[in-house]
Amino acid sequence: MNEGLYFEGMSLLDFARGPAFRWAVAIFIIGIVWRLTALLLVSPKRLEPVKGSATSGGVRTMLTRSAPAHELEKNIIFQHYSGYAWHISMFIVLLFFAPHMMFFKQILGFGWPTLPNLFITFFAVVTMGILLVLLARRLMNPVLRQISTMDDYVSWIIAFLPFLTGIMSFTHITFGMQYETVLALHILSICLLLVWFPFGKLMHALFIWPSRYKVGAAFARRGVRA
Amino acid sequence: MSATTIDYGTLGERAAAGLKPKALSDEQRIARAKEAFLAGIDADMATYLESCIHCGMCAEACHFYISTGDAKYTPIYKLEPLKKVYRRELAPTRWLNRLTTRDITVAELQDWKELAYDSCTQCGRCSLLCPMGIHIQSMIQVVRNGIAAAGLAPAELQAVSDEQRDKATIFGAGPDKLREVAERVRAKGIEVPLDKDKAEVLVLSSALDFLKDDALLAATAKIMNKLGANWTIRSDGFESANFGALAGDVQAQRRISKRVIDAAIAIGAKKVIVAECGHAYPVLRWEAATLYGKELPFEFLSVAEYLGQEVKAGRLKLKKAGNGASHVTFHDPCKLGRMGGSFDDARNVLSALGVKLTEMESHGRTNLCCGGGGGVAMLKGAQGLRQKAFELKREEVERTGAPTVVTACNTCMQTLETGKAWLNWDKDIVNLVQLVSDNLA
Repeated sequence: MNEGLYFEGMSLLDFARGPAFRWAVAIFIIGIVWRLTALLLVSPKRLEPVKGSATSGGVRTMLTRSAPAHELEKNIIFQHYSGYAWHISMFIVLLFFAPHMMFFKQILGFGWPTLPNLFITFFAVVTMGILLVLLARRLMNPVLRQISTMDDYVSWIIAFLPFLTGIMSFTHITFGMQYETVLALHILSICLLLVWFPFGKLMHALFIWPSRYKVGAAFARRGVRA
Repeated sequence: MSATTIDYGTLGERAAAGLKPKALSDEQRIARAKEAFLAGIDADMATYLESCIHCGMCAEACHFYISTGDAKYTPIYKLEPLKKVYRRELAPTRWLNRLTTRDITVAELQDWKELAYDSCTQCGRCSLLCPMGIHIQSMIQVVRNGIAAAGLAPAELQAVSDEQRDKATIFGAGPDKLREVAERVRAKGIEVPLDKDKAEVLVLSSALDFLKDDALLAATAKIMNKLGANWTIRSDGFESANFGALAGDVQAQRRISKRVIDAAIAIGAKKVIVAECGHAYPVLRWEAATLYGKELPFEFLSVAEYLGQEVKAGRLKLKKAGNGASHVTFHDPCKLGRMGGSFDDARNVLSALGVKLTEMESHGRTNLCCGGGGGVAMLKGAQGLRQKAFELKREEVERTGAPTVVTACNTCMQTLETGKAWLNWDKDIVNLVQLVSDNLA
């Protein structure tokens, strides 16, 4: 039997691992499908003869947009590399922390090598540090402040919580809570992320592909590499 | 070597004085704007509007933001009214968005006039930087469509759009002016085959070119005659410029494009050569057939493209350019290059002219706009902003060390000339057609 919080005979951890997670996954999947219906609107057929293949231009831009031309990139060095550092660190922590891999193994049926905890701690700290810096930037930079919406701040909190609760449960710095409670909070923070994912900017993880494809195709039709 | 500078701002101001404001209630303006926004949003735009992560990187591609540091010039911010209408009316999560997104107001549309017109030349540079791949440039046109539908487009552009739609003239210059200028060119001993019934090549001109002098028409005619082309200019379809597109008035844009299409079909043209007029090229080459509703039996080529092709095919022979044009840099017109797909054509011509070409740091698809495109040159209120943005262009030109700037767009040409006057600049500004015409072998 687990330590920690109980509610009507079910531990918080059992709730988090069980019904909460299942519902979160269901909302995640249904929500994504629903949000993606935006792609189903009609686009008029262009009748002008093309200068290049839209398809190959679109596919190319899906990749090449990760490294814009020097004269464009030179003004966004900080955002560009902090973005890379955050996403790479996030995926390392998500995929190469041993307990995470074990979790995926339960679902997928196969596992993969993991990284020593010291590395994972390092990358988790990096992600949190970058998130804090980017939040400060969003609050202070006039360009960002002006275009920021509630979604940006909600999504920030939702992306930050799994790291905070993860580090807490991993380091056992639990502020007086039972370990099981903190672990439950960690799983619940993931549930929250899954539930929020289709409704906020986290969806960019999916939208980035059709969007890049479409801009690449639009420019390629005109014979321009985008 | 420089052409006469036309003060578009003053011409625009004069035209605007004659425009009667549309008497619409606030509700009507909002309803019309929304209708135009929703009509303009297709699946591609919906994808773009869903994708924005509010990173603000697009600001760093925009010459108006870079040169002023003013946050309001952030490209994606210029789409705010469109974004709002999409979020509230069309997005799959609209029920959720309505809780956090307020409806658009007339005051907002009025404020956005400056952002969608004065401070956006629709150069498309931001569309090349956005990490999410959002085609911001394409959506600015829809914002303009909405503002114009609400009767709030800049008076300068709306007045000329109405004039061109109804009378086929720009600043009062139409078919009569064309005939008069053609006569003047003929008087110089250069044949201008006006209004032939049948011709392979239909050459377009623009009132903007011949308002002050006949130099460009003469240069174009000289080249076409030298090539021995079966060509004509039609007084019922000669205008490259499309103020309907610039104002954001879709109906006017369609009607104005149709004149050229009808003339080309009537004479059985195989090629239609668009004059050195920036926006005209994408409007005709990349939008006209779709608006017309049918594929066209001829091809649109910009004059730079045509010259490039003729040089490449060996039909256009040029001698080495003199007159101080031995070392040049080429200013890619945004609408011809990034938004049109023609980069090498002008360069092939320059190479045939034997000139030394030193490229600017931002050239080809990442070229920096001169600040005059998209109708901005006509807006007197935008002049201060243009001067600041022009500074970026000047710096890049200076770094090449070339004494001459060549370009292939009349608006770029006028903007560079105006910048030259502002700065007391020692650069020579030359357009490609003139350079070719002066150096025919």
